[in-house]
Formats: sequence, C-alpha cells, structure tokens
Amino acid sequence: MSGFREGPPALRIEHLSKHYGTLVAVDDICLQVAQGDFFGFLGPNGAGKTTTINAIVGLAKIDAGRIDIFGNDNARDWRVARRLVGLAPQEYNFDRFLSIRDILIYQAGYYGLSGEGVRRRADVLLERFGLASKARDTYLKLSGGMKRRLTLARALIHEPRLLILDEPTAGVDVELRIELWGMLRELNAAGTTIILTTHYLEEAESMCRNIAIIEAGCIVAMDSTVALLARRRHDALSVTLDRPLAVMPPELAARAARYDPATRTIFLDRLAPADVPAALAVVEKAGYELADVEFKRASLQDVFLDLMRK
Amino acid sequence: MLGNWTGLWTLVRREMVRTFKVINQVIWPPIITTVLYVLVFGLGIGSRIPTVQGVSYAAFLIPGLIMLQVIDQTYGESSSSVFQGRFLNSIQEMLIAPMSSLEIVGGFIISSILRAILIALLILGVGAVMVHATPHNWLLALLVTVLVSSLFGALGIVAGLLAEKFDHIAVLTTFVITPLVFVGGVFTTTQFLPPFVRNITLFNPMFYMIDAFRFAFTGRSDEPLWMSLGVVGLLTGGALGAALTMTARGYKLRA
Repeated sequence: MSGFREGPPALRIEHLSKHYGTLVAVDDICLQVAQGDFFGFLGPNGAGKTTTINAIVGLAKIDAGRIDIFGNDNARDWRVARRLVGLAPQEYNFDRFLSIRDILIYQAGYYGLSGEGVRRRADVLLERFGLASKARDTYLKLSGGMKRRLTLARALIHEPRLLILDEPTAGVDVELRIELWGMLRELNAAGTTIILTTHYLEEAESMCRNIAIIEAGCIVAMDSTVALLARRRHDALSVTLDRPLAVMPPELAARAARYDPATRTIFLDRLAPADVPAALAVVEKAGYELADVEFKRASLQDVFLDLMRK
Repeated sequence: MLGNWTGLWTLVRREMVRTFKVINQVIWPPIITTVLYVLVFGLGIGSRIPTVQGVSYAAFLIPGLIMLQVIDQTYGESSSSVFQGRFLNSIQEMLIAPMSSLEIVGGFIISSILRAILIALLILGVGAVMVHATPHNWLLALLVTVLVSSLFGALGIVAGLLAEKFDHIAVLTTFVITPLVFVGGVFTTTQFLPPFVRNITLFNPMFYMIDAFRFAFTGRSDEPLWMSLGVVGLLTGGALGAALTMTARGYKLRA
C-alpha cells in the first residue's frame, strides 16, 4: 500500500461480513480511513458498497466483524459513533410533511440537538447551499439539483466529523457537479473526513486521496489514488508519419510497436510519459517527419476495468 | 435505553406536525362521525329508549364513541406513519441518528396518546354540548385513554412494520378492530344481550376498554373495573413489548 495516508483512523472496519440469505454481500473486508482523508469507495453495482455504508451508519445488521468510528465501536458505543457520522444517501428520503428548513432542524433534533444554535446553523446551511429561498417549501417543490444539495445540508446539520456520500452527484448536471465538488473540497479542507462512492471514476480520481475498490463483496484494491494510477498499463503513444513506414525501427519493434498502414500510424502501448521523447526521437532518426502525435494517459477507469476483469 | 430526550421529543413534534397536516383525515372525521352517531342513534332512536346505566342513551353512547375514535385514529395514524416512513425510507433519518428503539417507539406512542387526548377532548366537547355527557372521574378517563391509545399506537407500529403494502394495514382495521369495537359495547350494555352473546362478549378485548372508560362517565360497569383495567393493561403491555422487540431487532428497518 505505497503512499497510503497514515494517521489515526476515522473509520476502521475489521473482518466485516454480511449475508442476505445465501448471497454474500460483504465478505470479510477490512478497511481503514484516516482522519481528514478524502476516501473513494468504488465498485460496480451490487459489489457491496451500499451494504458496507449501511453497516457503518447502523442501517444494516452485520453477521461478523467490527466497525470503529473515531475509535468508537458502532455496536457498543453506538450513540457516540452515530453522532460522529453524517450520511448523504443516494436516494431522496426526506420527510414529506416538513418544510426544507424543518427537515434540517428536525434531523438535528434526532441527533439530540436543539435551540437557537441549530436554527442558526440550519439557516447558514440553507444559505450556503442556495436553498434559503425555498426554506418554507416541502422538498417536493425542489429541483433535482436542489434535492441533492439538501441531502448534503441535512447530512451536515449535526456537524459530523465523518461524512459519507453515496453517489452525491448521480443524475446532476455538470455545472452542479462542479459546484458540489467545490463544496466537498472546502469541507474536507476544514477537517471533515469524507468517504465518497461514485460511478464517475474521474470524480474519484480528481477528489480522492485514497481509494478502495470492492468487487463481489471483497476489497480488490486499496491504495492512494496516485499509487493506483501508477498501476495503469494503458498509457499509449500514437505517432502518425508523413509517409508510409518501410521498416519498423528495431528500438520500437523491441517494445512491441504496431503499425497501421491505412493511417500511417505507429502505436506504442504501456509507455511511461518519460519515455515519450526518446520514442519520438527514434522515429525522427529513421528519417520520418511527425504528422501527428498523441499520448493517451490511462485513467482510474482503466485501472478499475483491469481489476474488474481479473 | 433512554438518553436522547431531544430526539424523542423531536419525533413527537414531527408526528404532531403530521397529524395537523392531515387534519381532514385525523381530527375532523371523528368529530363529524360522532355528531352523526349522536344525532341518529342517540337523539333519534335513543329518545325511545329509557335510561341506560342511569343516563340517557345519548349520554351512554358518548364514552363508547370516544373509544371507537381513539382506537381507530391511534392505530391508523401510527401504522400509516411507520409504513410510510419505511416505504419512503424517511424513517432512516431517525434510524441513523443516536436514537434507541425505546426512544423511537416512545416517540410514536406519546404522539398517539396526545392525538387520542385531543380527539377525546373534542368529542367530549360535542358530548357536553349535545347531551351533557362529561366524566365523573377525569383521572380514570385519562388513564383508560392513555392505556388504549398506547395499545393501539403500539399495534399500529407492529402493523406498520409487518405490512408490505398499505392494503395490509387496512386488514386489521376492517376485519378485526372495527367489528370488535362495534360489538364491544359502543352502542349497548351487555345487560341487554342474551346470556350466550354476553358470554362471547367477555372474550372481546374492546369490551373491557369501553366498559372501563364508560365507568368514568356513569360510575357503573358491566364487569368489575379492576378486571377491565387489568385486561387493558395486559394487552397494552403485550403490544408495547411486541413493538419494542420488533424495533430493537430492526425488523424490516435494518436489513
């Protein structure tokens, strides 16, 4: 786990297992999230992400294992543990009888908080998330983007130290997604530990410092984002020549370069960025001019797909 | 385990907000139905009936009608609130919060009691104005209202947890609660019934609720007060135990 962020854990999961009948939803997973981390929890549908999240927040009964939140066992010290966690679920589950402002105030009440301080914080959050003008409406009158922001505001009303976001940008437009990313970065910079599940891998790549990937109930990778990206094997260089290639230069042939006569393009896979100038120099030394050059870097998506194929 | 009093009180407030948001389903129907019962059965047909348990038939009806509405509304409200919360997942707001099962059940039960007291007082107002029926023993009336609303509030929680669709909640109302209440002494004393039917009535739990509540108005009952209170108390304890056990185990709440 090179580069994995060290520190006292905000979340520690030890040997967590959960079955639904004969289906193994989560199979003996261990996971640790450092305080202050921005942690991505990725996996395909049905891999066990939501089951794990539900186990952390107490919505799922676990068959085996232990979950500690800032050192508090979420089974034994459940009141303290739950007080420290905020959940923004993927599905909207707001109380349809309450106004937007009251959704926040009542949620704080369930967490044992009341009084003028809570009402002030609710107003601050409504303002910050652009919902102040809708404070007296029910959530049914909100747009999809506003509902998504309300989910986040509600998760923050009791000032949790660990914020869990289940697909926070699912179904929102690009503009709002960028806006939400900014808000999440601010929260994280202010010290809130964030766990993010998302299907947008570029989101995880740009936001998360550390990432765990779960598949069929098992953690198949857990590392820093940088280290995970270093596993990529799909960086590729394509060089289009000014005229047809007569003979593949031996240096490129040794690296399993391929040539497409139709487009007069040489392809070199699994090439580190640092080796690109040398490869281009070989082509030029062979007497060709470079009509076009493209270097395609592999993304987290490639790493993810690699892992899923294994 | 109690500890999060603010959480419990928040749930009570939330339930009362819900009650007043659906006031046309919860508060007004019992009042209007009671007025109609009193007009048609009490003052209409009842004018031909001599006194029952020492009061006019219309005044005799009032305690039974209050119990009828208290039972109907407390069961209906807690069951639909729990089921709706499950169906829309909004109940997760309190499930992820530091609230114990006792606080969650307590919140639903206290709001059932408050709702029942409100309905009972409104019907009492109707009774006082229309037929001059008021309790002689307010404390007993309050005790029975609290026990019965707790019992049906708890049964509502159980039904709200068991139900897979709204239709299932109505099954208990349609096939069990309403028939048992109607034959449980709302409209007549068992003294008027043939001995065989009277003996069958003794197996109807609703009879004891109505009999004990009516004692608070007329000072008379068909069965000893201690027996009626004992039956209602036992049933309430059982229903609360069931609601609490199911909630603590996370039945259909925590996967």
